[in-house]
Amino acid sequence: MIKNRNSRWGKTLYIISPGEYFATEEQCILGTVTGSCVVVCLYDSVRRIGGMGHFIVPGTIGTEGIFRDEIASHGITSMEHVIGEMVKLGGDRKRLSAKIFGASYLNGYSARVHYGTVGTMKFMHEYFTLEKIPVLVDDLGGHARRKIYFNPLNGKVFRRFLSNNEGSSEFIRLEQEYIENAFMNKGTYGRMIMFE
Amino acid sequence: MKRILVIDDSPTIRTSVEYAVKKEGYAIEHAENGADAIEKVSSLRDAGDEISLCIVDVNMPVMDGITFVKEFRKTDRFTPILILTTEAEESKIKEGKDAGASGWIVKPFQPEGLVETVQKLIG
Repeated sequence: MIKNRNSRWGKTLYIISPGEYFATEEQCILGTVTGSCVVVCLYDSVRRIGGMGHFIVPGTIGTEGIFRDEIASHGITSMEHVIGEMVKLGGDRKRLSAKIFGASYLNGYSARVHYGTVGTMKFMHEYFTLEKIPVLVDDLGGHARRKIYFNPLNGKVFRRFLSNNEGSSEFIRLEQEYIENAFMNKGTYGRMIMFE
Repeated sequence: MKRILVIDDSPTIRTSVEYAVKKEGYAIEHAENGADAIEKVSSLRDAGDEISLCIVDVNMPVMDGITFVKEFRKTDRFTPILILTTEAEESKIKEGKDAGASGWIVKPFQPEGLVETVQKLIG
């Protein structure tokens, strides 16, 4: 994550890279650029806390429910990271609303990434239904990258489609690296420690 | 039948854990946070039932997982408690151990690994 104190918004801009998440209650803007990944903006309107997650579900999701799907468990964990940070600040998932962006089908990406994009879309819809978190904006799919700015104190999002990938070459490189790693590590689970 | 209390504010996680362990023949109870779990344990005890194992998240509203472990240990020193969380920092893990947890599992969890651990703890 990059912190820019001199943004054009007149407040600190946190730039969230693919695979990262952040939650805050400070006056700032969270920004990112997404292609195949999804960007989730969560908002707790009572505590005025916002959180952003930027990730992909690394594969296709089965039809039996995300709670019994090993690929989906990585998406669930990505969501848990963002929501967990919001809870630490006093947030409560029962009060959250969501705005979701991205999961574009981009030219030049492998079929594997496209499967991930489809899996991510399916995951997002199923996850928010199970969690009973209302999705206020569902802006997934299409064929262009999106630039997203999120105000965590009022939940507002500014979204712009990028034509010809303008000014996003660094994000494209980071996204490709992140997706490669996400697919490579999809069989990896968290460690288990037993205390004496 | 052995009874497992799954404590997590996420219904998706509670259902994932239930799906993984229920097929092994355990009965499952759900709680949304530490305070809800303490109440549930107390009403089960009043009804003459007991919990064989708790699986608890760390970051939850109302009462977090570490506080739950400390509260639970005031009246029960022996029932195993597994912490299941995205938190992986050593300092946090030590906090869980010091509070009286039996083990720490970092999400995402492997269903077979979880079942194996549960079986080791309560048979």
